[in-house]
Amino acid sequence: MVNLTIDGKEVAVKEGTTILKAARFAGIEIPTLCYHERLNPIGSCRMCVVEIEGLSHPMTACNTPVTEGIIVTTDSPRLQKMRMETLKLLLVKHPLDCPVCDKGGECTLQNLVHEFEIEGTVYLAEREDRESLYPTPLIHYWPDRCIMCLRCATACREIKGLGAIDIDGSGFNTSITAVNRDKCESCGECIQVCPTGALTENLGEYKGRPWMVNRVMTTCTYCGCGCQLEINVFNNRIVGVTTKDGIGVNKGSLCVKGRFGYEFIESEERLSKPLIKKDGKFHEASWDEALSLVAEKFKGIKASHGADAIAGIASARCTNEENYLMQKFMRAVIGTNNIDHCARL
Amino acid sequence: MTDILFSSWGGVVVDNRGKESENYEKIEKVSLPEQFAQDENINALIGWYGFLLRVQDVNIVDMCRAYLTAIQNESCGKCFTCRIGTKVLADTLTRICRGKGQDEDLEVLSRLAEVIREGSKCNIGQSGPISLLDALKYFAKDFEKAIQDKNPIPEGNYTYKLTAPCMDACPIHLDIPGYVECIKEGKFQESLSVITNKLPLPGTLGRVCVRPCEEHCRRTILDEPISIKHLKRFVADNNLEKNKGMSFKPTPSEKTGKVAIIGAGPGGLTCAYHLALMGHEVTVYERHGEPGGMAAMGIPDYRLPRDILGFEADQVQKMGVTIRYNATVGKDVKLSDIDKESDAVFIAIGAQTNTEMGLKGEDKGYKGFIPGVQYLQEVNMGTDPYPEGKKVLVVGGGNVAIDCVRCSFRIGKDDVNLVYRRTKNEMPADHVEIRDAEEEGVKFHYLTNPTRILTKKGKVIGVECIRMELGEPDESGRRRPVPVEGSEFVIECDILVPAIGQAIDLKLLEGEEKVETTRRNTLAVNEFTMQTNNPKIFSAGDCVTGPSTLIRACAGGRKAAINIDRLINGKELKATYEDCFDKLFEKVKVFDSRENIGFLGGRKRLHLEMLPPDERKQTFDEVEKGYSQLEAMSEADRCLRCYRVGMIAV
Ligand SMILES: Cc1cc2nc3c(=O)[nH]c(=O)nc-3n(C[C@H](O)[C@H](O)[C@H](O)COP(=O)(O)OP(=O)(O)OC[C@H]3O[C@@H](n4cnc5c(N)ncnc54)[C@H](O)[C@@H]3O)c2cc1C
Ligand code: SF4
Ligand code: SF4
Repeated sequence: MVNLTIDGKEVAVKEGTTILKAARFAGIEIPTLCYHERLNPIGSCRMCVVEIEGLSHPMTACNTPVTEGIIVTTDSPRLQKMRMETLKLLLVKHPLDCPVCDKGGECTLQNLVHEFEIEGTVYLAEREDRESLYPTPLIHYWPDRCIMCLRCATACREIKGLGAIDIDGSGFNTSITAVNRDKCESCGECIQVCPTGALTENLGEYKGRPWMVNRVMTTCTYCGCGCQLEINVFNNRIVGVTTKDGIGVNKGSLCVKGRFGYEFIESEERLSKPLIKKDGKFHEASWDEALSLVAEKFKGIKASHGADAIAGIASARCTNEENYLMQKFMRAVIGTNNIDHCARL
Repeated sequence: MTDILFSSWGGVVVDNRGKESENYEKIEKVSLPEQFAQDENINALIGWYGFLLRVQDVNIVDMCRAYLTAIQNESCGKCFTCRIGTKVLADTLTRICRGKGQDEDLEVLSRLAEVIREGSKCNIGQSGPISLLDALKYFAKDFEKAIQDKNPIPEGNYTYKLTAPCMDACPIHLDIPGYVECIKEGKFQESLSVITNKLPLPGTLGRVCVRPCEEHCRRTILDEPISIKHLKRFVADNNLEKNKGMSFKPTPSEKTGKVAIIGAGPGGLTCAYHLALMGHEVTVYERHGEPGGMAAMGIPDYRLPRDILGFEADQVQKMGVTIRYNATVGKDVKLSDIDKESDAVFIAIGAQTNTEMGLKGEDKGYKGFIPGVQYLQEVNMGTDPYPEGKKVLVVGGGNVAIDCVRCSFRIGKDDVNLVYRRTKNEMPADHVEIRDAEEEGVKFHYLTNPTRILTKKGKVIGVECIRMELGEPDESGRRRPVPVEGSEFVIECDILVPAIGQAIDLKLLEGEEKVETTRRNTLAVNEFTMQTNNPKIFSAGDCVTGPSTLIRACAGGRKAAINIDRLINGKELKATYEDCFDKLFEKVKVFDSRENIGFLGGRKRLHLEMLPPDERKQTFDEVEKGYSQLEAMSEADRCLRCYRVGMIAV
């Protein structure tokens, strides 16, 4: 264990712990913007600067491991000024278009600017507008809103192991670009980690403000992984899918289907009632009618050809429990071992 | 006497403005050469520790504008303060210089400069504003005047180079912060490309480089240097493991030609690599049956497995380079014939022969008397140079001597000794190697010098030695060893290996048109172009520098390639602006071990796992294991990214 003092509080943490984690452990909040639990510290935002007694230079808490006996100060006029100026610098490029931004209301930058009581754009710089190409049409990239915290590129590399996007250019004119276009899987990990509205999803026109939607936690139905996701509901319509960092087996990640494949739910073409074919045409029926018909047919087949004439193929869209019941049904009720699963084919 | 008007270098302000030149106060921190290139005087320097003015007519406001613009150009964009902050600084200064400054600009400049200096992630942002802060403090009037006058300031003439302490110390100036950062971010393939941009032998150098960079690593001031060498090995091994060839991007020159290279050592291979990248047709003549020069025939396998070197040499051949093995120039082929068939010739024959100790009987061919390089060569070929001998005595204190002793265990000799005339402290060999040899059980005899070879029936039976003591320092700064009279004693041995130095075998020049050599029997070349007195013949590596290191040979090979390309394309051969900056930075030191960084230290480097001494001394298996991915990323994370910009006004 390493002992240190943060804002007068004595803390003991495991060797290798960063100052930021030690502070959080001690219940002390240090502002951050680029830091993300699931990523290696990036160190781009410089918000988490802290002072260490005896050192002339402030250190960033997110990527500095603790050492024995250090005395850390997380708040001082000097640190406050540094954080404030850094935020003001971000507003050189970042537009104050919060009213029309999808992220407005749950944007880390907005919260910090508000917290630090910054009133508007203070500094100016000449800009050179460049077209920036994102690797997938499912995501809209807003270069002006992008603060270049690099969470997106880091997540693409570290969580997904892809490295489809990265920083390009130099200085003020850097932007995020597709460096390996073909590697992009459109999974939306980048959107998920973006602290601002620089990455927004490109489906649908009207999204509803974050505080207006109802987020319903559910399990993704696309495959057996069981990823946890939140269906965003506005006026009883699904307007998006989000995740919560660290929640579920997926810890906040999804694949392209889970994140963007929600439109089928409200598809006009979707069947919502059972159909029974009569005289070559489908007719709507009640569940009782439909199930009785199926039971009757199964019984008939079993009587004339034996149980092994029936086979069941279960769906990967079902949960483990449903799949378990399916095989139980095939074995115990129908009486056959002819059971398989579409994911195996 | 100094001719510097003002200096704030290293935080020490010397202000000679308004003084008579004979009363100028001296600048202790730095010395600024007068000339940059021929006919180009240095009027001012602005850089990572401050700025110096030599002449009055450099406009300080304009120089700050140029410098901050350069900083913004070099800003990688990976941290907020530097990416946007230096842009605001550069734009504000540009506006002032255009005569459109406003009163509040000065306050903005100093406020932001301070925040950027303290808040940026790496040394670009941390060092970039230092000079501006000094200028605002000591030249406030100039700034105020520029704002009030509202007259555009004519733009001065500046030129700059990006460097870093480690990068500057590396003879080939590898972009070390660049490749280390890629590793930190898990971009191993990109990291490898940064290295192979200059060097075709990453796995080789990643194992045996003498790493001058690490001696100049700024992290040393805090705790320990970054393991620059091991990180290089990591990316090379990672690539090899994935069984990928190396990917190269050839960029053919306008005119291409035929080039002959003599010697497939590190110097020759690097030259061939760069020439091939530029589209030239290259044939290498090599005396031995395999590539690598001393790296293959001298350096033992437990330090550098041969397949690593072999793989890297293969890559060079895959680029279209032909290597003709077992072809000794001067014997099998004549230099003049090669010369006739080629547009240029590059000589990189290394230092192949042993320096004599000056003892009687050295040339008698006694059994058991085996010069170091020859001893290692035979071991490397897989033979025991003298199976009858069991007790080995190696003379010398350099890496070759250490290789000889460590090898001896591995071919089954059990009593291994090393005599060196000074103490361990003065030994030029790598200290890590000395430690490894000690662990393996080598008996070191310091302050000892051989005086007589003892023989019986033409076989070595021992060496008479004399005790030494350290006297006054000699020209190398090391204390000169002097014999203690009457202290002679005998060490018995049946193998005597002198390894006190190598010399250059210039037989290939005999009977040829004159290629000039130096007093030290090395080839004489222009230090910038590597060209000999014969315009078509270039040379580099050990045969120019005397026995030196792999990386210097590689750096020389690269330089030669660039200049051979120029020759073929009819361009003038002269020092490039990069060469001039290298020269300048030798004076204006890029690394200052006394710098007060003010960061938190205490984060030691990750050491490599090693085979235990008793096990490793039996085999030629590689002693050091490489880093795992996570270890490499964590080690790379220690790097402070000390990029910095040096700019001069000419
Ligand atoms: C035992 C030993 C250990 C060393 N350890 C290290 C180390 O750990 N790290 C380090 O940085 N440096 C080390 N060095 C030094 C390093 O090996 C040399 O500085 C480097 O190899 C020089 O490269 P070069 O290309 O100039 O010459 P060489 O490597 O000597 O290559 C010259 C090549 O030219 C060939 N050749 C010579 N004459 C002719 C001819 N007439 N015709 C055709 N071919 C010819 C030779 O066969 C050889 O292949 C060591 C040297 C020795 C001897
Ligand atoms: S160069 Fe260094 S200081 Fe500048 S943006 Fe990149 S990390 Fe930050
Ligand atoms: S810390 Fe990194 S950039 Fe700085 S000198 Fe060392 S290796 Fe080079």
